[in-house]
Amino acid sequence: MEAFFCIGAILLVLVLILFSYLLNTARKRVNETNSIGKKQLLPIYISLADRPASIIQGMNKLRYDVNKTEKAGDKWRWVPLLIFFAGVVLMLVDGLLFLFGYSSFVFIGGGVALWIAAIITARGLRKSDSYDFSRRYNGTRDILHTLRDDLKPGSTYLGHLDLTGPLLPTKVARTAKDAQNRETEYFRDEWLALKAKLYDGNILRVSGIQKSKKRKSYWKRSRISGKMKSKPEKFKGTEHDLKVRIVPNPEVYKIAKTSAEFKQGLNIGKFTISQLSTEGGMIAFVANSPFEEVEHENVLQILKSAYTLLQRKAA
Amino acid sequence: MSRKVITFVVAFVLICLVMAVAGVFSFSGLAKAEKFDANRVWSQSYNTAESMKVINLMGDDNDELFIQNTENVTIFDGSGSVLFSQNYQYPKTTLGDVNGDNREDIVVFYLGDLGYSVDVINNGQTQTIAQSLSIGLPARVAVLRFSSGPQIVLGDSSGELLSLNLSGQPLWTYSVGSEEIRGLDDARINGQIHLAAASHDGSLVVLNQNGGSVWSTSQESLRRMRAFDFNSDGNSEILTGGEFGAFIAYSATDGSQLYTQSMGQAVSEIREVELNGEPSSREFVVGGKDGGVWAYSIQNGVVDQMWSGSLSDKVNEISGIDVDGDGAEEAVLGDDSGVVAVFTGNGSRSNLENHTTGITRIDVGRLNGERYVVIADYNDVQVNKIEFNSIPGFQYTPLIVGVIISAVILLIAAILASIPQKPELKVSFQDKSRESLEAERRMLKESIADVERLRKSGEVTGDAYLARLKRLRGDLADNEAAFKVAGFPIKVETIQCPNCGGTLELGMDKCEYCGQVLLS
Repeated sequence: MEAFFCIGAILLVLVLILFSYLLNTARKRVNETNSIGKKQLLPIYISLADRPASIIQGMNKLRYDVNKTEKAGDKWRWVPLLIFFAGVVLMLVDGLLFLFGYSSFVFIGGGVALWIAAIITARGLRKSDSYDFSRRYNGTRDILHTLRDDLKPGSTYLGHLDLTGPLLPTKVARTAKDAQNRETEYFRDEWLALKAKLYDGNILRVSGIQKSKKRKSYWKRSRISGKMKSKPEKFKGTEHDLKVRIVPNPEVYKIAKTSAEFKQGLNIGKFTISQLSTEGGMIAFVANSPFEEVEHENVLQILKSAYTLLQRKAA
Repeated sequence: MSRKVITFVVAFVLICLVMAVAGVFSFSGLAKAEKFDANRVWSQSYNTAESMKVINLMGDDNDELFIQNTENVTIFDGSGSVLFSQNYQYPKTTLGDVNGDNREDIVVFYLGDLGYSVDVINNGQTQTIAQSLSIGLPARVAVLRFSSGPQIVLGDSSGELLSLNLSGQPLWTYSVGSEEIRGLDDARINGQIHLAAASHDGSLVVLNQNGGSVWSTSQESLRRMRAFDFNSDGNSEILTGGEFGAFIAYSATDGSQLYTQSMGQAVSEIREVELNGEPSSREFVVGGKDGGVWAYSIQNGVVDQMWSGSLSDKVNEISGIDVDGDGAEEAVLGDDSGVVAVFTGNGSRSNLENHTTGITRIDVGRLNGERYVVIADYNDVQVNKIEFNSIPGFQYTPLIVGVIISAVILLIAAILASIPQKPELKVSFQDKSRESLEAERRMLKESIADVERLRKSGEVTGDAYLARLKRLRGDLADNEAAFKVAGFPIKVETIQCPNCGGTLELGMDKCEYCGQVLLS
């Protein structure tokens, strides 16, 4: 009898897990978070080597295609749950027969088959789910759109937009251990690399780099109970670097030594200019931001300010 | 083939599979809704029946119910009224025609006032034919119709056998081991009746009419011994069930073992049941102490297991009854927890109403012209009418279920096919003009130089450096491929690692990603 109850309890738990899985499929997907509580975003990697219009059109199409797939799946989200209930109804037929004293497993078998079909459908529908697009996707598109007319005719943008995530193992730049032998990982995510030959002959290089720090999980002996306890990994913070190099066309521009609108230590939007060099016929600077997200307006604003260092030569 | 076509092909294959399985279930008769109901006709209080039989004992045309427990012998008529009842000490009974009136009499071996005695009950009249017998506590009694004439064979709790003639005169004695006699049965050798006897210590012997041993053997401690002539060739088969699970079929002729199997639990009962309705083969059912049930068929001397099942407790009794009138008997089994189950010829089980105490005996027969199943438990004896019910056409329900599942599979296929494939999330927007490709190439080389610079400055180390380099070199290889596709001349600068597939710069002699040595 105990074995009967035990098996019954296990089956009940399995059915509840299945029901919960199908119910979650049926409900509109809530925002999922990763291990450090950050919202999961769609992992996209785009190589840029095309004209602005083609890139912007391609990015819009990608967004449309992802939404189309998701919407096509959304229409049928309740179907797996309905199939599950159809399985339950089928099984109840055997239950009814059992109440009348007959023992039959035909409908139970059919019900189980329908449940398997429900799982397959749910998995198929879940595959059509997508995480939200990162704000950087639209921001980058807007930067490319804004700069489109400044590009040398016939030339292309070059670079990449890497939105696969800042905390991937492949993005660990280095690791360090503290006095307690706890390991901290330093991530370097160059999510945007952009090179463009501009209309005025200048060459613009922009890199958006997110630097993050995460302490890995570790085991620690409790001072009170003496037990070994696992401490979870801890996100220690993030910051943004915007690395820009502008090589001006020497026939058109000369580089000014100073500018009130662009100097080291100046705050522009969310950024602070931390390094600035105008040596070697090139403007190179690093703008630093303690924020996790920087808007595309800030990037454009800082580029615009950097241009104040260029003085047009007399014709 | 397009994704949609593949989806529907897979769906079609699945539908075929589902319908094939449904067809097998439908047309093999595996799917059926059948039940057996027991309606109680009458019940009488009678505890712990050891022996019970529906048989004509009173000289009328009707059968009566004979029943015996550890202190009493009773005969009920078809309506449950007591026709005869007599108390005994330690009685053991058997049925046999002692007085030659072609009707069975009850032979009672018991401890009387003058020692161990034998009574014969005929038409409700008791006659003591032997007293003060030199034998121990009654264990078994049997009436055997030897060619030289009938004999009453008594077995005691120390393995002693004593044969009496019908007048009660001792004829011969024999010692079968040293423990309680657990089986006395008539076994045929070349058509001649012999006595098969077995004791609890595992001794087994076949004796002739004079008490002479034809053959003997011994095995593990023995709970049950029965003899049947399964193939009606005049030579019986003797089946034994051991305390430790040994189930053995012997040839009564010479004691050779025809079949042996370890059941994994003590064998508590063996009965013949005509399970398949095929007269040329005989079937028997074995019950185990832990509830195991096995059905065997014997044909041409070959023993085959038909099916196995289980009850929840020790199988106390097995009986055969053709409940559904199809010519094959169903096995009705009772266990020590009070469960009564009907096993059909293919081993499917239906339960009858549970009893509150363990089942001791089950028998089938006609009482008052009706065919009844009589079930005795530790408290009562109950006479039941067993009814068989089935849902007509139920065997085709697997086809209906199969059609439902097939429809759902089609629906799922249609849904999945209607969802467009998820777009690739690694995208390359690439202009194919020569200038663009060259610019991209320059950019990639600058990026590679940047990564190298970062590594040298210690900003990027280890896996991150290799991962970034691998991606950039991959892009460089794509760029070279784009050059070739467009028909522009290009100096190839990358190679692929034959081991991991990673892109490397031409001239490298070792893969940076997997360590493979390169010969280029």
